[in-house]
Amino acid sequence: MIEIRWHSRAGQGAVTGAKGLGDIVSRTGKQVQAFALYGSAKRGAAMRAYNRIDDEPIITHEKFMYPDYVLVIDPGLAFTDNITENDKESTKYIITTHLNKEELISQIPALQDKADRVFVVDCIGISLDTIGRAIPNAPMLGALMKVSNMFELDFFLDSMKRVLAKFPQKIIDANMDAITRAYNEVK
Amino acid sequence: MADKMELNEVEVWDGNYAASQALRQAQVDVVAAYPITPSTPIVENYGAYVANGYVDGEYVMAESEHGAMSACVGAAAAGGRVATATSSQGFMLMLEVLYQASGMRLPIVLTVVNRAVASPLNVRGDHGDMYAGRDSGWVQIDAFNAQEAYDLTLCAFKIGEDLDVRLPVMVHQDGFVTSHTAQNVYPLSDEEAYAFVGDYKPVDEMLDFSRPVTYGAQTEEDWHYEHKAKQHKALMESYKVIDKVFEEFEKKTGRKYNRLEQYMMEDAEVAIVALGTTVETAIYAAEQLRKDEGIKAGVVAPRSFRPFPYNEIREALANVKSVAVLDRSCPMGAMGALYNEICGAMASTPANPLVTNYIYGLGGRDFAVEDAKNIFREQKANADAGYITTELQQFSGLRGPKLAFYEAKRS
Amino acid sequence: MKGVLATEKRGIRELGAEEMVGWDEVTQGVVLHSFDTEVENVAHIRPEERPYSDFNSYTATVASWRVIKPVYNRDVCIDCQNCWVWCPDTSIISRDKQMLGIDYDHCKGCGVCVEVCPTNPKSLLMFAEAEDNEEALAKWPEKKKKEK
Repeated sequence: MIEIRWHSRAGQGAVTGAKGLGDIVSRTGKQVQAFALYGSAKRGAAMRAYNRIDDEPIITHEKFMYPDYVLVIDPGLAFTDNITENDKESTKYIITTHLNKEELISQIPALQDKADRVFVVDCIGISLDTIGRAIPNAPMLGALMKVSNMFELDFFLDSMKRVLAKFPQKIIDANMDAITRAYNEVK
Repeated sequence: MADKMELNEVEVWDGNYAASQALRQAQVDVVAAYPITPSTPIVENYGAYVANGYVDGEYVMAESEHGAMSACVGAAAAGGRVATATSSQGFMLMLEVLYQASGMRLPIVLTVVNRAVASPLNVRGDHGDMYAGRDSGWVQIDAFNAQEAYDLTLCAFKIGEDLDVRLPVMVHQDGFVTSHTAQNVYPLSDEEAYAFVGDYKPVDEMLDFSRPVTYGAQTEEDWHYEHKAKQHKALMESYKVIDKVFEEFEKKTGRKYNRLEQYMMEDAEVAIVALGTTVETAIYAAEQLRKDEGIKAGVVAPRSFRPFPYNEIREALANVKSVAVLDRSCPMGAMGALYNEICGAMASTPANPLVTNYIYGLGGRDFAVEDAKNIFREQKANADAGYITTELQQFSGLRGPKLAFYEAKRS
Repeated sequence: MKGVLATEKRGIRELGAEEMVGWDEVTQGVVLHSFDTEVENVAHIRPEERPYSDFNSYTATVASWRVIKPVYNRDVCIDCQNCWVWCPDTSIISRDKQMLGIDYDHCKGCGVCVEVCPTNPKSLLMFAEAEDNEEALAKWPEKKKKEK
């Protein structure tokens, strides 16, 4: 079972991102779970979303997990939230930041012995450039595809087009750009 | 004629969306609602289906949950297929009218997204509201995940509307843990789902002007008791129809439901009895304990909370040494309700398992796999000792000093 | 004396004297049908022609509850319908806005009709239940003079 924990602020699209990922993965014959732990449910409040992916039906309903991937889509939460909670030796971190990896890690003591498992990408900058709004969920999924090798970029882009089908073409195109850029830029 | 919706073989739906799709596919005539977290999306989605032409029905916005269920009673008495959703405080406000609906034998379907009851205010899942409805005369069916919330909502119409039952039906799912967790769901097509549920056959409908009827008559000590007894009998015997509907559903989908679900009970030495998502988490824990620690653990779960599967419980636990009954509602001055049901069932059998009560998960407190394992391990200790090694009622996952009540009497 | 417009079904038994059937025979959901058979356009059928069932109080009588009764005097009545409007037991029988009399099967003798009658003298007056209606009419009071 693969377990993913998203650190986000309400309104940044972590739940949508987690459900979109679940939707795409489910079409490949896998079993998925996507849920969230809402904070005070106000826009901007810190919250967490979760994914589980497995070959077998997922029957555990605990919120507790030892994540395989930690996705931080808000730049501030890397500093203020406990992003390394319940992590494993193998947990990989993808963190949204305008800093480079060394600058980021030097400021977050909890990450200092995990440098080889930390990846950075500026999802906020990318989404502002491409979509025009600070909605960092889609670029984070692009970065996750690169780091996890879960799916080929082209397959993932096609799948995302289907998930986003209800939106105008302009928005779909902008999301495709955002995903592609994050895929290429994550370090 | 309503438009059809194209669904994929596998969808990723949360419990709310799954339940709302079942309401749409059953082509519910009237949903009267006063939306409340976490069940809001069920009625919200139904309203959207009506607005977008996917249901030929009516969404009625009520002024309270009391008003919502009252409007449901009116619409059902008029002769429509009727459903709504609620949770927690809304359920409590509906409670008075729940008794009216069942007493009038109106097969309304209520999708209850279980949530804790204030005070203190809390929007997350526990079973306080579900328990409050247990004497209200409704069939109460419990879903453990989103797929089941969909399946059992379809079944609910068929159970409640059966002429041998004609009782309202609640389909319960856990707030957030089911209602807001998206999982793989395998839906039926609109045609298959509607063919399964069937056309609604009204009984004594008020809109039949050629046969005027009185609903809600007053009966005092001369008649009230007989009517209540007749209603109780209908609910007690509804198990036959529930079994029949579950069989038909299995033929259609391959998914098998039982009024009492049993997992790994063939050779189980210790068992957890629970409701809701906890059932699946406990199965997950039992599988690991069997593999890693050699504990023969099993899980028993009343799918049908009302009518209570009394005989099935007695059979399922006949050969178990120690049983933990988990109540996700604070009984406030007594043992948990489910514990009492289980002990009542086992008291009239030669089997004499050691039965203890665990209160857990109040207000959405996480019930982790490790919590379930610890409970199983305590049952194993009881089984090995041959007596209850703990207090009879314990609190699982509670901060602070250990809270427990009552010692077992051994002499 | 049977009431005006007597029918076979009206007041066939004392209210509360129904057969006390067991739980297995009571109606499902306490749903009570007003009529024994289907009816079309029931609003246009006169009560005495409707197929009232035993569940409808039309077929029960409360006549024995009465110790005083209203007596109706056609000679003074102006057909204002006040009594018909106010009677709490639908026991004033009126046809085409014309008063016909009292339904003594359902009248409990409350006296509201007398109270609301505007004529001088009143067209409805309360008498002892045992009093004969003809004798009551014979002693009807005279018109009262207005006091100056």
